[in-house]
Amino acid sequence: MRWIRSESFAAWAFMTPGLIIIAVFVFWPILYGIPLSLTNYSVIAETKYVGLTNFKNAFLDKNFTISLWNSLLYVIVVPFIQIFSILMAILVNSRIPGIKLFRAAFYIPVVTSMVAVALIWSWLLSNNGVVNYLLMKVGIISEQISWLSASETALATLMFITMWKALGYYMMLYLAGLQGIPNDLYEAARVDGANRLQLIWSITLPLLRPHIFFCSLISVMGAVRVFDEVYILTKGGPGTSTLVSSVYIFEKGINQFNFGYASALGLIVSVLIGGLSVLVFKFNQKGGVNPY
Amino acid sequence: MRRNRKGMKLTCLTVLLLAMFISACSGGGGTAEPADPKPADPGKGEVSSEPVTLKFWTIALQPKFNDYFNKLITEYEAAHENVTIEWQDYPYDAITQKLLTSSASNTSPDVVNLNTEFANQMGTKGALVDLNEYLTAEEKAEYFDGIFDSTVLGDKAYALPWYTGTEVLFMNKKIVEAAGLDPASPPQTREELADWARTVKEKTGKMGYALNLVTKLLTIDGIPILNEDKSAAAFNTPEMAATVENLKKLMDEGLIVKEDSDLGKQVQFYSAEQTAFVLAGPTFINFIKTSAPEIYENTVAVSLPTGKAGLRLSNSMDLVVPSKSKHPKEAAEFAKFITNAENQTAFSKEANTLPSTKKSVEDPFFTESDGSLEAEAKLASSQSLDKATDHMVGVPNASDINSALARGLQDMLLNGKEIQATLKSMETEVNNILKQ
Repeated sequence: MRWIRSESFAAWAFMTPGLIIIAVFVFWPILYGIPLSLTNYSVIAETKYVGLTNFKNAFLDKNFTISLWNSLLYVIVVPFIQIFSILMAILVNSRIPGIKLFRAAFYIPVVTSMVAVALIWSWLLSNNGVVNYLLMKVGIISEQISWLSASETALATLMFITMWKALGYYMMLYLAGLQGIPNDLYEAARVDGANRLQLIWSITLPLLRPHIFFCSLISVMGAVRVFDEVYILTKGGPGTSTLVSSVYIFEKGINQFNFGYASALGLIVSVLIGGLSVLVFKFNQKGGVNPY
Repeated sequence: MRRNRKGMKLTCLTVLLLAMFISACSGGGGTAEPADPKPADPGKGEVSSEPVTLKFWTIALQPKFNDYFNKLITEYEAAHENVTIEWQDYPYDAITQKLLTSSASNTSPDVVNLNTEFANQMGTKGALVDLNEYLTAEEKAEYFDGIFDSTVLGDKAYALPWYTGTEVLFMNKKIVEAAGLDPASPPQTREELADWARTVKEKTGKMGYALNLVTKLLTIDGIPILNEDKSAAAFNTPEMAATVENLKKLMDEGLIVKEDSDLGKQVQFYSAEQTAFVLAGPTFINFIKTSAPEIYENTVAVSLPTGKAGLRLSNSMDLVVPSKSKHPKEAAEFAKFITNAENQTAFSKEANTLPSTKKSVEDPFFTESDGSLEAEAKLASSQSLDKATDHMVGVPNASDINSALARGLQDMLLNGKEIQATLKSMETEVNNILKQ
């Protein structure tokens, strides 16, 4: 009775709806994926137990190996996102007139639907699009480039779009972190003769470390799971040059009804993401997680 | 005490929120099962006399064709007093997912509109009813053979062909004439089309056309995708290598756009006058009419130049009966009614599509032209229907195979991969798919 009246009961009561939703739509599908991956489940036909065949086929599947490699390559985008969003956060943290406008402008891509973003970029990047026009005008390129249709440029172009869309989100997280850093530290350092670069290097970055850790972690997971922009703009093509694991799993499951196989691929990717997350934790621990 | 009261308030609020959440979840989300208007008569043992509700799903036909379908459904229900039709329409991208979820929850629809690729994919998985059981030889003969056979796998017929379309050649008259070519005597073969594109490039600097890099590029040159008994890939031949070499050469010359261009991209290239031609079905007209009216005014439609196989390919929409339908017999009857010659003719007149029934194209609607682009395109494509066939004719696991071949073609044509090695790799991949 006393427990019912306690604050922890109230806390649990508030958390329960969220937990139910997470349990039904996150934990249950993950757990259900394990038995499914051992079958030839296709929803529409008779389901048979196939043991570890799906896992064996996954490692023999050239396209899956390529998609895993492309997903890992996509992680290259993470340091760029972090560096640019920290720089942007430092910039928009300044007390200059009209800075709120810049904050809003940088944040707009985050709240824009990925479908709209992808369509706009596909127009900008098309052969006769603005990007080619501008680059040719200033003499950087001599002829039109099919940014999303050439294997040399397609993956990098998609990474750029991902980075462009994500920057505002991480900028806001870093901005929150920057605003939590006490001003006295900067003032004391200035009195000691520190220049702007030294302030950033010796105060801002160390105190932002928990934010950098959090942002890097979710950004690594996001990069490995990237789907929307790739599916809308290239569907994994040309050939397999932008085929990432999420797109391949979607194709196998939803388009080709091989849900058992798709579940096995999904589990392998989950393990990979788990491994990468552990690496990010380790990397961060090495430098000290909590500077406070 | 005050703290306890606060806790109680919080608890009450939580319970209230939970109750709201649960009631919100339970309300309204799905389509409610309609109350059966005619109760079952236990005295009658005949299945056909019991009240039956058939769920009929189509792709992107509402609200434009509501009147046509409502009339058709009323007519059918009047002739079959025990049958009620519940018509639902979904966007193209949603219908397969809806079909999967409904199958999983045992609420399968009875008659579903699918394209040939998906019909074949589902047929391979045993998810569709073999319609041979419900069709007489005369009924089968009503459809154009090449189109009907598109979804025949082994000895099983998985779909009834419905409305269809064959590609025609759309030309930008202004560009073609500027290149010194006469639109009144258009190219008849792909080689001639390539020559026209070369002349256009030389004289105007514009490109010829854009292509979607899919399996139909094999079929138009008579390269079989699979062997006779559909047990192995059959496309790894010198002819296939020559077709790829030729396409690569045309791309390198700038006669074909070096991109995998779906219809949307083809419209963009053509609307911007970057290309002089488009090889597409009549639906292209609607796009160009909206996106570039001045180009539409300047466009002419002629019969599509044929490849080495001398074929013209169709792109059909079909009606299938899922195996999980509770009333397959009645569903097949209804599918036959929707796709019969009379109703297909009427639908083609409404929707400006082509019918898949032989008798329909005898209608003056398909033989006379008022000179408009729509009428010219319709004439050009309806005259090809007797030789039309789908590019995925009877291919099991059609989606998997189409995807494997498309990737291979993109690798060879866009990514510069070596042709022989890629063909070998594609062959292995397709053989693995067939073994699954």
